[in-house]
Amino acid sequence: MPICPSCEYRASEWKNIASHMYLMARNSDPSHVMWMNRNLTMKEVDVDNLSIMLENFFSIKDNLSFWIREKFIQKFYGESPHPFILAMQNPTRGVLLGYVIEHQHFLKNWVKVLSEIIFKTDVEEVIKYELENINVEYFGYNGRPSHYELLIRMGESLGMPREKILSYKPLPSTQSAINTWRKIAFESNWVEIMAAMHSLELVADKTLRKYGAKMHYFNETILSSNDFPKEVKDFLREGYEADQTHAGEALKLVDKYAEDPEKIQVTVLRSFDAFAKYLTARLERGMEFDKNLIKVVL
Amino acid sequence: MKIQVNGSKAGDKENGCALCGATWGDYYEEIDGEKLFFCCDVCATEFKNMIEEIKRRTGWKKIDELSIEGNYYKGRNCVAKTEGREYKFYVKFGDDAEIETFKEIE
Ligand SMILES: [Zn+2]
Ligand SMILES: [Zn+2]
Repeated sequence: MPICPSCEYRASEWKNIASHMYLMARNSDPSHVMWMNRNLTMKEVDVDNLSIMLENFFSIKDNLSFWIREKFIQKFYGESPHPFILAMQNPTRGVLLGYVIEHQHFLKNWVKVLSEIIFKTDVEEVIKYELENINVEYFGYNGRPSHYELLIRMGESLGMPREKILSYKPLPSTQSAINTWRKIAFESNWVEIMAAMHSLELVADKTLRKYGAKMHYFNETILSSNDFPKEVKDFLREGYEADQTHAGEALKLVDKYAEDPEKIQVTVLRSFDAFAKYLTARLERGMEFDKNLIKVVL
Repeated sequence: MKIQVNGSKAGDKENGCALCGATWGDYYEEIDGEKLFFCCDVCATEFKNMIEEIKRRTGWKKIDELSIEGNYYKGRNCVAKTEGREYKFYVKFGDDAEIETFKEIE
């Protein structure tokens, strides 16, 4: 059932949502205006056109997970890929340290939010899936270190002591993104939280190019290059090999249990918004170590 | 003030919001004696905060030209001009329209 992506007002037809959004935008309501600016168009259109655009934007051709994948690619890998992804094509020490320092906060919050999914669901396969994910992120498996540990080791290999890494508070953009995800965790049902969180793992999915992404999350020659410490390669390889199955499997569960696809779409877009902001925070932190990095965002 | 956002003229309803370039909305704010168009009050507050910061850092009384490139996610790369002088900076806003990051660019 059609939904306003800004205030979640429901109507039976998209044209009613379009009239509502048009009116809200005319009144300069920041949340509605920003949603259209960031997702649909920055140029004002009339209600009829807006209705068509909204319907097209939310229409699900194959399944919900395909829609999520498509929107993710458009936002992060489309015409102008996110500057952090551009920086990862040739990462400097600054880029990687910015990654380490901000991402430790992301990962801690990640497992907290996943635990909310477990708390809210009675579906056995979902509970198992999330516990496994938490395990890999936080404790490691089959004697291999966790993602969290691999991340810290990457930072150490770049010359920053563990205590120093752990002493950093998150930048405001990181904190703002974390607040968004925590809000989603508290307010949404478990399928929505799953979609909002695991769709973010698409960022490192190496199959994305098959769906139209122009580049991979990082330049893959890094994995066999001698220019980077082993710990950097270990961390990047882990994501390279794991996240593909992570995101793919979780999104299959989302398809299977989705009862309100429009609500899930809206929540996923909110999560993407937070993620885009968070990725910039990694670069911003990186600028403390590499002044030239500002050129990446210019 | 002559304003350009991502390569296009901005600051009136026809051309778009003085900060982001969007033509949605209908919000006006008087800045340096000039009525400027914004898509919403958040963009207007961000713009005002940015103008104040430029003036504070440069000591300029007014700004003749302002060019803004970028967006909400990655921040904005700007050039301000007055009486033949030029000032370049990067700015990013926080959740309450406050300046979160401001870096001067040589
Ligand atoms: Zn609404
Ligand atoms: Zn605006």
